[in-house]
Amino acid sequence: MDSKLDMFEDVNTSPAPSLEGEMSIPGKRMTTTTSPGGVPDYNTLDEPIRETVLRDIRAVGVKFYHVLYPKEKSSLLRDWDLWGPLVLCTFMATILQGSSSADSMADNGPEFAQVFVIVWIGAAIVTLNSKLLGGNISFFQSVCVLGYCLTPVAISLIVCRVILLAAHTTFLFFLRFVTTTMGFAWATYASFVFLGQSQPPHRKPLAVYPIFLFFFIISWLVLSHN
Amino acid sequence: METPTADDLLQFRDYSGGAPAQINVNSPTHATGGGSGSGSGGAGGGGAIGGNTNAQRQRGDPLADLIYDMSTSAQTLAGGGVPNAQNASLDGSGAGGGGSKLSFLTIEYYQQFFNVDTYMVLERIANSMIPKRAAGNYLRMNIGENPDLYGPFWITVTLIFSIAISGNIASYLQQANDGYRWHYNFHLVSYAATCIFLYANILPAILWALFKYSLKPVDAAEAVETDSASYTPTLLSLMCIYGYSLAIYIPVSILWVINISLLQWLLVITAALLSGTVLIAVLTPALRNSQFSLFLIIGILSAHIVLAAGFLLYFFHSPPEVVSSGYPPAAPPAAALKTVTDAAVNAGVVAGNQTH
Repeated sequence: MDSKLDMFEDVNTSPAPSLEGEMSIPGKRMTTTTSPGGVPDYNTLDEPIRETVLRDIRAVGVKFYHVLYPKEKSSLLRDWDLWGPLVLCTFMATILQGSSSADSMADNGPEFAQVFVIVWIGAAIVTLNSKLLGGNISFFQSVCVLGYCLTPVAISLIVCRVILLAAHTTFLFFLRFVTTTMGFAWATYASFVFLGQSQPPHRKPLAVYPIFLFFFIISWLVLSHN
Repeated sequence: METPTADDLLQFRDYSGGAPAQINVNSPTHATGGGSGSGSGGAGGGGAIGGNTNAQRQRGDPLADLIYDMSTSAQTLAGGGVPNAQNASLDGSGAGGGGSKLSFLTIEYYQQFFNVDTYMVLERIANSMIPKRAAGNYLRMNIGENPDLYGPFWITVTLIFSIAISGNIASYLQQANDGYRWHYNFHLVSYAATCIFLYANILPAILWALFKYSLKPVDAAEAVETDSASYTPTLLSLMCIYGYSLAIYIPVSILWVINISLLQWLLVITAALLSGTVLIAVLTPALRNSQFSLFLIIGILSAHIVLAAGFLLYFFHSPPEVVSSGYPPAAPPAAALKTVTDAAVNAGVVAGNQTH
């Protein structure tokens, strides 16, 4: 009994009273305000929650901008997040899903879950493929890049949706075709810029072909949606 | 009262027994084993370094044993994985045998199946289409040494979508002049995926089992001279060959969009015979080793032709009623009724014309 009391007192009077430290979590997104040491300049515990949310939203917006203007290579790769892919994928699956009415004219378009699965499993398989080929990129970085690179395809889907409000004519189909092709080429080019250098040169076509196929299939879904 | 050191505290907690006692036991090992044991009870932190693992291993601790095994396998991976890729890119003969010690849970284990370069994949695709292009020992020296799954996997995926897409385009072209508002049929993808994946996986497995089952008993004297000519492939090699043999159907499926029946059937025959004969030629060493090789040859060829004909009939020739029959169950009777009534009306008109 005595000894136990002793121990508690000793712990209280032990010569290390200050419990200071930094709670830096590796791999978190710190897009705009990261100091060279990798430690953020801000303190997420003290600031208002609005600033935290806004900073994350801004980081997502910066990534969208980088995809639409694919020049800088490192930003998307260093700080990955999956918010943008989730938003894009949900948006596209919502628009692309076939109507579930039971009449004979119901289109046999994909279900919501099918589009969702094609995007996520497709991105995962493409990433796994580049990992298996010996690429030096982490799994979620690649999934993040592929997801964000859906942005041009999603924009072409919006344009196609607007065009479809008008009558179905051959010219308008041609317009949709051109829009979708541009979105497809843009998406493939952007992901090539971000992911291309992660492979050894003699295997680059092997890694790029699945990316091409991935965006081609999604673009086909966009084009044939009517 | 004197301030106790950390050791005193540990000594004290030793009396309470149980888990804290293990800290007391382990910490001297860390101190002597290289000084890297900074965490309390951090056998994982120390073990991964690899310096003091031997000392821990002799203690018979199962956790330390496990960590030792993991770190040694990680070291062999780090040392052996990259040279494998480099060797394969240089001489093309592959180094699949080097990875036989890897655990199947690691990604490096599967990297040996993707150990190909661009020119190798193109070479294998060309070899699967053009007869007499591959050397006689192609199965043993090229495929058998380094079977890859990259080509088979992406060829089957490409074939699935190229058949689904061109099947949709074909149905669009067939119905474009009817004034019928065309709807694309995404479910073709599911059907194509099912049948192609089954064909590319089940058939090699069956063939492999048949090869094993029907292995010819070899005489001891004969074995020496036939050894070079006969060779029973592994399951992986068979899957590799079968995957590549589907490659010819990708351009063919795009050409099937042209809605001329004669051309379509000509394509079926040509493609099936081309890749079928290549398949037979490549598998000749294995067939020579089998008891009923004639039966196997006929089986392989007919399965290939049936696959191509099935593609054409199901995905390209089906009228709209049949295509949509899978999805809304009410559609086929109504459509059938419509055709029947149309036929009846036409017959009536014809009959009326004849009576006039």
